[in-house]
Amino acid sequence: MKKAWTIDEIKSAMGGAPSRRQLLAGGSAAVAGAFMAPFFPGMARAEVGGRLKLLAWESMPMQSYLAPFLEANGIDLEISSIATQDDVHVQLIGNTPNTIDVTSYSVGYSDFYINELGIVSQMDPKQVPAYNEDDIFAEFYMTPAFAQNGEVYAVPVIWGLNTLVYNPALVPEPASYTDLLKPEYAGQLTFIEDTLATWPMLAKVAGFGDKFPHLTREELAATFEAAIPYRAQSKLFAGSVGDTINLFVNGEIGVLFCGWAGIPTETGPQGVETIAHTPAEGGAMWCDAWFIPKTATNRDTAHAFINAQLTPEGNAATANHHLSGCVNRRSVPLLNDEVRASVDYDNLTQVLTDSPLVGMPPRESDEFATFDEWTAAWEDFKLGF
Amino acid sequence: MFAYAKTLRDNRRERTGVLFALPVVLFLIAFFIVPTVLLFVFSFWQSRSFVLVPDASLTNYIDALTRPAFRQTILTGLTIGLGTATVATVLSYPVAWFIAYRTRTNLLLYIIMLSWFSSYLVRIFAWRTILGTNGLINSALLSLGVIDAPLEILIFSPLAVTITLVHIFVPFTLLLLLSALRNVTPDFLAAARDLGASRMKVFFRVTLPIAYKGFVGSFMFTFILAAGDFITPQLLGGRTGITTGLLISNQFRQTGNWPSGAAMAFILMAVFLVVYFVLVQVLRWFRLSPGLRFHPPVEELRAEMAQAKEA
Repeated sequence: MKKAWTIDEIKSAMGGAPSRRQLLAGGSAAVAGAFMAPFFPGMARAEVGGRLKLLAWESMPMQSYLAPFLEANGIDLEISSIATQDDVHVQLIGNTPNTIDVTSYSVGYSDFYINELGIVSQMDPKQVPAYNEDDIFAEFYMTPAFAQNGEVYAVPVIWGLNTLVYNPALVPEPASYTDLLKPEYAGQLTFIEDTLATWPMLAKVAGFGDKFPHLTREELAATFEAAIPYRAQSKLFAGSVGDTINLFVNGEIGVLFCGWAGIPTETGPQGVETIAHTPAEGGAMWCDAWFIPKTATNRDTAHAFINAQLTPEGNAATANHHLSGCVNRRSVPLLNDEVRASVDYDNLTQVLTDSPLVGMPPRESDEFATFDEWTAAWEDFKLGF
Repeated sequence: MFAYAKTLRDNRRERTGVLFALPVVLFLIAFFIVPTVLLFVFSFWQSRSFVLVPDASLTNYIDALTRPAFRQTILTGLTIGLGTATVATVLSYPVAWFIAYRTRTNLLLYIIMLSWFSSYLVRIFAWRTILGTNGLINSALLSLGVIDAPLEILIFSPLAVTITLVHIFVPFTLLLLLSALRNVTPDFLAAARDLGASRMKVFFRVTLPIAYKGFVGSFMFTFILAAGDFITPQLLGGRTGITTGLLISNQFRQTGNWPSGAAMAFILMAVFLVVYFVLVQVLRWFRLSPGLRFHPPVEELRAEMAQAKEA
């Protein structure tokens, strides 16, 4: 098959030099095509390569460890940042959703994204061969958070604990959350606008950890009632992970109530040591899964991109980079010592039983407090009510 | 005949004017009026998981107005807005006056406008560095021995928000005031002074009524933007920095409850309108509005002139 045509060959095929009218018509068509192309985002590519529109967490500079894969496949990664999970769905709902090829959800949002909003497309398992029963830990393979009715909607990539982070130069290590109520923590505490980290932890501190996210309205009220003394110790509410890192680096805060355990990897290079620490109450488990939105246009590349992070080498590199757990059992030997030691892979089932992956409060329920009610209670808490 | 020709000419001019204005008018109708009307209709509807339910009621308005947290954020926004607008307008006036009447160059104006060339977020983070616990001001005061511990009021407080917003909005207020002062020619001021008016009287009886729209415009412009802002309060306001804008944003982004967010937005708009009418009314009461000059009795005027002559 002919791959590329020279100008002479094109002229020859046209039966000689093009007429002025043909040139004008061709030029007009080209201009019209270039102008109209953005209005037809559904026109998809059918091979790996080209521009891949990625919506990823602000602290995921994945170009570094994916460089060989991106270069080998001629992929131009166009990354937009998300600071909170809301940044994903607000771009994908409504009559004019944005074109995004790959993005992620925290497992707590799986039902909401797949079934309620309907923004997740089905993946082609053949194009993600690394997501297979032999290699992937059973806890992460085809479970309802990723696959439903036999169809794969998302694939998990990394997971870990959201936990307390503190600056040892400013505050002592807290053994329990109740330690945060001591005078030495006054004005040093911050909460983060990451509901998947903060809400389960607030429930745990109030004694409802096992019930989250299915708390009754009375239990919801009791949860935030118990949190009031912690608010009194706080200085501010950080808007995002990036904002929290900035606050640690500037010496404005000494403790983060509950957030991404990888924060020390970001503050360390900026000259401020912080420590991710799990107090007696435990932490809140998270797991990020890549999915291909219905608005994706470069689907083949999206599948290849996701698969590259699930291979034994790719998943180990991803987990090492983010100091997280891996989902591919063959990645474990490839993890660096620190990352491997952070998870007891021999007893993974027990690890995930002790700190299970939790969902979000129901959107609608007569029995339990809904997501909207949690949001309102959270807003009231921030305002001191 | 002449009158007929004049009417024709006037009609032609009017048509030309309409043609020039048409693109902007159409743009505003399509992208402001229509969406606003739609949002107003939505504000009476309900929502279920990001899906609008056309079930009209006043529930969203009642829920918002009966929620203490919402009222608290309105109050916070009003405080920040009024503080920022007052300080920005008061600070801008002397600069505008200097540029309008005392200097022939616009150098000072350009220097102040220079801050526009940096992004809004960069300016907020710059102020965080300046006002921070280990920031420029606290470090300087600590090293000079003026204070023993960092001043906590400087950062994560309403003061920090107001300082930052004043910095952001001063170029706007300055431009509006300067533009208004260009209408108050030095002849007016000289005439008033010749007639014996004091500097204060010239300001209140001549400058302010003529430049009325500039003053009200710059105040309201700053007030609305500052009171509705939620980025600066969130990044610099600490625990007190939650404004209505953030609650509205949460309704649209987090809970997907557009009707509730729309109702809150329209309540906020109503509050802004009330502030505008109160401001205009106060200026009328003090006879500082155009067309409402206060003419004191002749005896009082004569006494003032005699006093000025003696002085």
